[in-house]
Amino acid sequence: MSFRKIFTPHLGDPNCHTLEFYEKTGGYEGARKALRDWEPDALIDEVKASSLRGRGGAGFPTGVKWGFVPKQTDKLKYLAVNADESEPGTFKDRVLMERMPHQLIEGIIISCWAVGIHSAYIYIRGEYVHAYQRLVAACAEAYDKGILGSKVLGHDFHLDITVHRGAGAYICGEETGMLTSLEGERGQPKLKPPFPAIEGLFGCPTVVNNVETISNLPYIMEIGAEGYKKIGPESSPGPKLYCVSGHVEKPGTYELPMGVNLLELINDHCGGVWKGRKLKAVIPGGSSAHVLSADECDVAMDIESLAAAGSMLGSAGVIVMDDQTCMVNALLNVMKFYHHESCGQCTPCREGTGWLEKIVHRIAYGHGKLEDLDRIDTVCDRMVGKTICVLADAAAFPAWSFTQKFRDEFIHCIEHGGSPEVKRRHPDRIGGGLHV
Amino acid sequence: MSEATNPETPLVNWVLNGQPVQSPAGMTIFEAAKALETTIPNFCYHPGLTIAGNCRICMVESNRSKKPVISCSERIAEGLEIQTESPMAIEARNAVMEFQLINHPLDCPVCDKAGECDLQDYSYDHGPDRSRFDEEKNIRHTKELGPTIDIWGNRCIVCTRCVRFCDEISGTGELCVVERGDRSVVDVFPTVPIDNPLAGNVVDICPVGALISNDFKFEARIWNMRKTDSVCAGCARGCNVEVQSLDGFVKRLVPRENMEVNKWWMCDEGRYDYRYLLADERVTACTKDGEPVEDHDAHETLAHWLQDPGGTLGILVDPYITCEEAFLVEQIASHANNALVGGWKPADGTAQSFPGQFTISGEKAPNRLGVEAVLGKLVFGSQGHALRTALEKGQVSTLIVFAGFPHPDPDDAWVQAIRKAKRRAVFALQAGAWTEGAGLVIPGASPFEKDGTYANEDGRLQRVRSFHAPGDVEWSHDLQRLQAVLRIAGLRPRSLSSSAVFRELADVKKPFHGLSHSTLPATGAPLPGFIPLPVGVEGGSV
Repeated sequence: MSFRKIFTPHLGDPNCHTLEFYEKTGGYEGARKALRDWEPDALIDEVKASSLRGRGGAGFPTGVKWGFVPKQTDKLKYLAVNADESEPGTFKDRVLMERMPHQLIEGIIISCWAVGIHSAYIYIRGEYVHAYQRLVAACAEAYDKGILGSKVLGHDFHLDITVHRGAGAYICGEETGMLTSLEGERGQPKLKPPFPAIEGLFGCPTVVNNVETISNLPYIMEIGAEGYKKIGPESSPGPKLYCVSGHVEKPGTYELPMGVNLLELINDHCGGVWKGRKLKAVIPGGSSAHVLSADECDVAMDIESLAAAGSMLGSAGVIVMDDQTCMVNALLNVMKFYHHESCGQCTPCREGTGWLEKIVHRIAYGHGKLEDLDRIDTVCDRMVGKTICVLADAAAFPAWSFTQKFRDEFIHCIEHGGSPEVKRRHPDRIGGGLHV
Repeated sequence: MSEATNPETPLVNWVLNGQPVQSPAGMTIFEAAKALETTIPNFCYHPGLTIAGNCRICMVESNRSKKPVISCSERIAEGLEIQTESPMAIEARNAVMEFQLINHPLDCPVCDKAGECDLQDYSYDHGPDRSRFDEEKNIRHTKELGPTIDIWGNRCIVCTRCVRFCDEISGTGELCVVERGDRSVVDVFPTVPIDNPLAGNVVDICPVGALISNDFKFEARIWNMRKTDSVCAGCARGCNVEVQSLDGFVKRLVPRENMEVNKWWMCDEGRYDYRYLLADERVTACTKDGEPVEDHDAHETLAHWLQDPGGTLGILVDPYITCEEAFLVEQIASHANNALVGGWKPADGTAQSFPGQFTISGEKAPNRLGVEAVLGKLVFGSQGHALRTALEKGQVSTLIVFAGFPHPDPDDAWVQAIRKAKRRAVFALQAGAWTEGAGLVIPGASPFEKDGTYANEDGRLQRVRSFHAPGDVEWSHDLQRLQAVLRIAGLRPRSLSSSAVFRELADVKKPFHGLSHSTLPATGAPLPGFIPLPVGVEGGSV
């Protein structure tokens, strides 16, 4: 079966975000079908059967997650759409919200019908102003046309969508962090259990799904679980948006089936490494994923294959680095990010992220010592798996993989007075005093 | 807590450090282990607050998880196997200690918390003896958070106990964590200082020296202080406190846990109210007709007055006397031909309740119920009326006044009335309206200097103890003075300890039957068969 794009076929049209255009291209048929033909329980089973897995990073089976929500409850149920897309190197949800907002709204209608939810929140990253405006406009259109509100598409089902802007914290992309932020609290993850499906937003059962996950639903309604499963590998099927950035000729968001080969993605779709240079390393799934060295890049971009290769698909934010990249400087950049974004709740992450940045900074600026590499290793070891959420792990994975896979380069920096990149950019700062 | 004590809670079989054990279902690993006398370190856990699970020091190894789990939040379950001292658990703790200490200033020598600091204690047990941290430490703010509380941000480990206290117990929510990552620190919103009636507790629950009481700052080293278990006399709640003193001076009060009375808390009103001990007006020597006299002379004079009151003997008691002292008062009265005993107590304030089920009583008298249990339920009611009427009519020839009020605020009617007695002896904490013109003024002891028992507003009998070390003070306390007077007057054979006097009291007064100082639990005991009268009903204030 040939691959048909579902997210990006109309992106060239300047009106692709409008309701008129969306309906003209078959929009809201999936939602109509769901409300008309599907009992909620059967719909959950259908999504389970499709093997749709979350696109936010963890890859949890979506139908199974929905199944955790209690059927009989006095409490309200909520859908919280995670549109906080803050993983470095990831910009797929942004495209979906800016260009295909109605596809997301349709997906929300389908999932809310399946789980019995009447109130959905879209928690959108604060910096996505344009996407926010598009979403708000799309919701207004949908309310106007009776797609949302007291009678969804003319059926006896009411649904409201609230678009809520975040205030710029990476940690609010973590599901419980997002929920505390939505509740008006300081955005930081909560202890699990209870899981959001049982006790989430405002203490009520809550489904948390990524924008891209939800946007898949209209298509599943269209072609059915069986058809959907045939796209890509059986365990994690479906169309997938890959965000390619860094040193490639044509960076951007690419829609390809799950399991596309990473080298094929870089070379055939993105025009290869820029300026005719050679590939040095790729981070395949957002900055939290283990880095892959050039010889590890012949790998299928799906959840299982990347896990087998010692990394992860994550959010499919592919960051490509050419052979002139200084890996010490690259790691410093990543460590700065996690240090800045750790919420500060759990001790290992609060202190560990800062410590890692300081060590890498020292190496990059010419004050490194050989024992620093072991120190990075043990600090990472002491952070991983010891915190409420996985931000500590996310910070430790790149630190670990960069220093292991590019150890020679780190040693070279330590022995030769710092990173060549830093020397080139900040010759005045290298070597003098302890800059931390 | 109730789960642990309810005998009907089903038991769960689990394994702690290789030993099969049973614990009531629903307990967390931390609580169950504590009940089994296995201590797990903790910073952010506090039994009175919700679980935050952020410090990670309480991680233990579980057979249900590949990663270490936090014992403060994970609950015990059938078949669970927990190791608190396995290599994984120890490594997890050591890791957390290393992280806690890298940005900590390690300024224990100048830190007021040193000596009772959890970070310091665990550092000895689990911390590295030298640092692998070659970098510069983070700097965070040091500032005033409120009139009584400062923060030393560099020491803060962001356990959020104080934040949760203000949210959950005082319900005032002044504190919050600002900033992120290793910059995060506790702070208040601009223009909203922490200034609630329970604010001082955040200093107690701070596991490090980040929150510091202005009142105690740089006053004393913890380990040098003498610590005396007693009861706060600020109101009828009777919060259990530890009086910490140095060289005979009270340095601070901290609450003691008593789930029946004050849980883990106390109010600021009680906490900072000890300076009257050093007030200029404090009576420190006996005077007779305004002239200083030796203690013995004063006691002798009073004994002669008792032997020959020259008419009606009046005794005006206050609710600050202990049950033992009240018992001696009764003895004096019972030996007189014609005696009137009445009481006066300070005006009631307004009770204050807080979301954390903590109440500051409106009644500002620590032992009204105890005195009533000894001297009769109407002592502060109609008996007090009768005494005042007699005084006003000039029918009282000899009057003994107990004026142990920390903050003397007598009402005029009483002050005018007591002056009509022909002879007046006053046991006074402070000189003032009560002592003016008195023939005999005898120094009284403050509630922190008394030895005996108080009954709180629930009728719970609790021990009060003097913070003074034996020999600290040259003058003796009310109980000793009263016994000396009684001995000289031939009414008691010899002076006894407070416990011995209580034994006599327990023999003759029904509510005290079966009780003794030595068997009184640390948390006190309800006076059996004594139902407290609500304030305002007959027997309430005059």
